[in-house]
Amino acid sequence: MSALPLFRRALADSWRGLVGWMLGLAAVVGMYLPLYPSIGGNPEFIAIIESLPPELVTALSYDQITTGSGYTLGTVHGLIGFVLVTIAAVGWGASAIAGDEERGTLELTLAHGVSRHQLVLERLAAIVVKLVALTAWVTLLVAVLNGPSELDISTEGILAGGVALLGTGLVTATIGLLAGALTGRRMIAIGAGAGIAVLGYALNALGNQNADLEWLHAISPYHWAYGTNPLESGFDASVGLLYAVAIIASAVAVLAFRRRDVGV
Amino acid sequence: MTPAIDISALTKRYGRTTALHGVDLAIEPGRVFGVIGPNGAGKTTTMRILLDIIRPTSGTVRVLGEDPREAGPALRRRIGYLPGELAMDTRVSGRALLTHYAQLNGARDRARISALAERLGLDLGRPVRSLSKGNKQKVGLVQAFAHSPDLLVLDEPTSGLDPLVQQEFLAMVREARDAGQTVFLSSHVISEIEQVADEVAVLRDGRIVDVSTVERLRAAALRDVRVTVPAAAGDAFAAELRRLDSAHDVAVAASAEHDIVSARLRDGIPAFLAVLARSTVHDLVVQEPDLERAVLQFYGGDASDASASQAEEVSS
Repeated sequence: MSALPLFRRALADSWRGLVGWMLGLAAVVGMYLPLYPSIGGNPEFIAIIESLPPELVTALSYDQITTGSGYTLGTVHGLIGFVLVTIAAVGWGASAIAGDEERGTLELTLAHGVSRHQLVLERLAAIVVKLVALTAWVTLLVAVLNGPSELDISTEGILAGGVALLGTGLVTATIGLLAGALTGRRMIAIGAGAGIAVLGYALNALGNQNADLEWLHAISPYHWAYGTNPLESGFDASVGLLYAVAIIASAVAVLAFRRRDVGV
Repeated sequence: MTPAIDISALTKRYGRTTALHGVDLAIEPGRVFGVIGPNGAGKTTTMRILLDIIRPTSGTVRVLGEDPREAGPALRRRIGYLPGELAMDTRVSGRALLTHYAQLNGARDRARISALAERLGLDLGRPVRSLSKGNKQKVGLVQAFAHSPDLLVLDEPTSGLDPLVQQEFLAMVREARDAGQTVFLSSHVISEIEQVADEVAVLRDGRIVDVSTVERLRAAALRDVRVTVPAAAGDAFAAELRRLDSAHDVAVAASAEHDIVSARLRDGIPAFLAVLARSTVHDLVVQEPDLERAVLQFYGGDASDASASQAEEVSS
């Protein structure tokens, strides 16, 4: 009963937060999705969408909002769910090393029988488990509401949406973790994690505006996830880029943290 | 025998600031070794290098015969470390936190945690972050001693502890030495160093000024004394004190009810007592000699000089 002590400690310290995020996600998903029957097929609502500036509509991905999968992307995976998962991922990624270091508690942990890479990997594993729990929860909620809310999303679409959402969370968390491993400064880690999420969203929205800016899609993690609506068309190879970035960021975080002084 | 700690030409620079300038230090196993010096002298930096929390710029370090940079977790399992700025803010109980540290060290002896906690009067059931500074310090001590490490590295171990617990801690240090463990500790309190340390290193501005015994240091120590005498009697009393070779910095603070004469004494206690015996004394305070200040005076310059030159060094 002494395997992965840091991993178990990290989960034990943060399960309350995880439950809070799950309740929050349940509230927003449970609020938005049941509204679809009265919005998606509603001619008055469609008229409102058509009267909005087209730039705004594309920026919010509301151009697909009249389908169940488009509506779910535009409200949950691409908007409120994305925001909540991003905030959780930023917080977890930044606190894993930088937050612990700034509080002064990391020094004592490292003074015991743990290696630097073990610490990064076990705490990363705890973040992954929590993000999987969050996104699996969202996926489950969507699956449960799919019928009652007349969303008509395929099972593959529901799963692909969850995998894309998880990918965005992993990129955000690992970039925050990496910034913390490099600098030990919590604000830098938060800025890096939140920055990559906001930037990805902005690049995607800009790229949607016209053909001249479309190349921005190529460097937007948000677009890798949702450029092709996974809820509509299922798994897409570009989602793999999210996981590749997360793995690279994690590897660099391990190497960077092995090298530097802690708590100075 | 392999020294428990063997440091040579150890240098640590942070940017343009140099924290350690070529420190040499060898500590034999089974000894209690104290290190003293003003804040910023490099005590904490040295200790953190031993634990591989920070890395030396140059020089060699051997702890229990191994290089901390290479030896990894296996070496740290043989070391108990108490940081100087102990931060603990977890909501878990002391028992859970200490069990966690024991797991990191691969220690199986949970009974020892309870025994140490009971000895120090620590309630293991309370959330760590709700504990007072002194009780957090006890948690820190328990985690350092719990796995019976070959080497204890303790940075200001008694800070925040009340006197009874300090005594218990000193007993723990002596028992550790008797069991063959090596103890490397920093302290500001002369009585503490005096009671447990076999040797003392004086660290100043990132250099070892001297390695000495406590007796020699104590001989150099100045004690602050404060004598309350009847009103208007202060000047006469101060004049008598000034005649003593051992008295320095004699000053009088007069008030309506009484005069307070303060001075600093080096040795010469019998002569001082003779002056007291001839006078009417309402109150007397003799402070424990300040080892750090004494040492710094002994080795040139006083504490204010030391901090001034330090500030210079940082700004230059």
